[in-house]
Amino acid sequence: MHPFQYQRASSPAQASAAVAAQPTAAFVAGGTSQLDLMKEGVLHPELLVDVTPLGLTSITPLEGGGLRLGAGVSNTAAALHPLVRQRYPAVSEALLAGASTQIRNMASLGGNPLQRTRCPYFRDPAQPCNKREPGSGCAALGGYNRVHALFGASDKCVATHPSDLAVALAALDAQVQTLGPGGPRVIPFTELHRLPGDTPQQDTTLAHGELITSLDLPAFNGRSHYLKVRERASYAFALVSCAVALEMEGKKIRRARVALGGVAHKPWRLPAAVETMLAGQKPSEKLFRAAAAQAFAEARPLEHNAYKIPMGRNLLVRALLETSGLQPLQGPAGTAFAASVGGVSGEVAAQ
Amino acid sequence: MPTPPRPLTALGALVPDCALPDGSRLADRRGQPLILAFAAHAWDPAAAYQSALFARLVQEFDGGAAFVDVPPPAETWHALDAHGAVAARFGLTGQRALVLLDEQGRLRWQVTVAPGQPIQAGQVLAALEALRPAPGAAPRPAVSAPAEAPAPGSGLSRRTFLTATLAASALLLLLGAGTAAEAAPPELAPNVAPRPAADGTVPLTLRINGQSHRLQVEPRVMLLDALREQLHLTGTKKGCDHGQCGACTVHLDGHSALACLTLAVMNEGRTITTIEGLARGEELHPVQAAFVKHDAFQCGYCTPGQIMTASALVQDQQKRSAAEIREAMSGNLCRCAAYANIIAAIQEVQGA
Repeated sequence: MHPFQYQRASSPAQASAAVAAQPTAAFVAGGTSQLDLMKEGVLHPELLVDVTPLGLTSITPLEGGGLRLGAGVSNTAAALHPLVRQRYPAVSEALLAGASTQIRNMASLGGNPLQRTRCPYFRDPAQPCNKREPGSGCAALGGYNRVHALFGASDKCVATHPSDLAVALAALDAQVQTLGPGGPRVIPFTELHRLPGDTPQQDTTLAHGELITSLDLPAFNGRSHYLKVRERASYAFALVSCAVALEMEGKKIRRARVALGGVAHKPWRLPAAVETMLAGQKPSEKLFRAAAAQAFAEARPLEHNAYKIPMGRNLLVRALLETSGLQPLQGPAGTAFAASVGGVSGEVAAQ
Repeated sequence: MPTPPRPLTALGALVPDCALPDGSRLADRRGQPLILAFAAHAWDPAAAYQSALFARLVQEFDGGAAFVDVPPPAETWHALDAHGAVAARFGLTGQRALVLLDEQGRLRWQVTVAPGQPIQAGQVLAALEALRPAPGAAPRPAVSAPAEAPAPGSGLSRRTFLTATLAASALLLLLGAGTAAEAAPPELAPNVAPRPAADGTVPLTLRINGQSHRLQVEPRVMLLDALREQLHLTGTKKGCDHGQCGACTVHLDGHSALACLTLAVMNEGRTITTIEGLARGEELHPVQAAFVKHDAFQCGYCTPGQIMTASALVQDQQKRSAAEIREAMSGNLCRCAAYANIIAAIQEVQGA
């Protein structure tokens, strides 16, 4: 690993200024993904500003029924928080279906959406990768692109975003509170990440030195759910995942918001037209199949990832069936078991 | 246990002058604290932890300390031949040892390290820390907790520490006033960025298994490497070094965490527990006992990590199903596939 300097942040403003002042500086919090990439030689910051001394570890109800999740809260603490579990089970499910116990204990909510892609070519400095080294090319385009994007990719990058949490936050229309060189701002979660275009090295719309201070969940009176397909029953990234937030009015859907994971450079909210298809309708498998067909109509598969289209359609239908109650969850709401297609080791926890 | 060598010079007494290999005389070096390191051939100066130890010792006596240099081949290694005349003068012929003299040339501290044993930087530094007076306070007794309780499996016998005698001598102001003034306990000032030394290393105090360890590390050193290479707490294993296998699991503030994916410098002020700190004396932790009873291992390499994850898991006293245990333990791989027995062991502890 390249040597670097280390600083402890004394305030969010100081941390932001310290990183902003040096192009090769970065924040560090949980570090679980970042330090691994530094070991691999993929990232080589010259200054790490440790933001863990800032705390930012509280979960506070907001006026109007929302919930503020401090950026320093660990994945475990957020997932097990009673208010998160009760009001936003999709968030708990996404967190608990991700990583391992130890990593969830270490990882922070602010860092989670900022983790880098799991594209194997990005993580191998011997391979060309425009995200790692702009202008070097994309080895995945003509390579083994089984885990890559169906939507929004470019000829520069076909990587997907790996975070489970981000998919749930996109469906729930979370807001990102930041403090940057230009002061504080609020970013709709769906605008935090960007599509690769010609600059895949930029994962997000954050300025250099802009620090996430909290993730705010808006008030939500409905059902939410996260469902994930992966190659292993536990401790694996999603091939495809799906977060659903449904608000009902009587027996009809008042509003449906759906985001997919594992299919794009960012959490992929379904086009407004597809979400609108569901509004005002009674939940039914037929309706959900129609929506799923529409959701994947624009999918552009690569050589090895076309399997994600039927997998994604089926997953989307199932997630909608389970969220609307037409089909039972596979495990208690708010747990990894509810979120895992196929259960864990072929078993599901007792309801 | 080997009998600690009796110093030819009594602690607190003036060390007789003698010639040093570089032609100078010991007496010429009075006016600043002095550490003499006696190295045998078996003591490989290339070992990183030893270099770091000596870097730390230099820092400890910054503004006053000096080593007695010897010419190459030990270019960066300041040591005296354990078989040389000076070693004989100190009654240490053939022994690896550290000797500390104060500004007046009095013998203040001495430690020897048995052949084949590693020197444990943390323990030596803890001993030195115990000698350091609190800022603005009267010198405190030398034998404070860190120096008094060597880590289990230590290569350095507590009997080789002569700190008890030092405590009796009471006059422990080894450091210059300038050095003493900056000696604020690190845990009181966790948010201050550690000041890097010229070589890029930073001072660090880690609280591990109830003891404080002072280290000098580069910021890029992972907690795992600090534990294993500098403190010789080798119970924590390095498996994949990428957070995939769980062999390096420790507890940070009571939660299971991967020592390979956290910087040592980020863990100042945290309570760190390793597998060495889980048992209470001879009494095994219930998870350890259950692993033995259920034969929950074969080769044993993953076992410390398995036990650390499991022991953190059972703290909440929830009764988990086998499926829930599998899910919670999925970050710990066992190449021998002792999984069934591991789950049985955890279930037994849960049921107790």
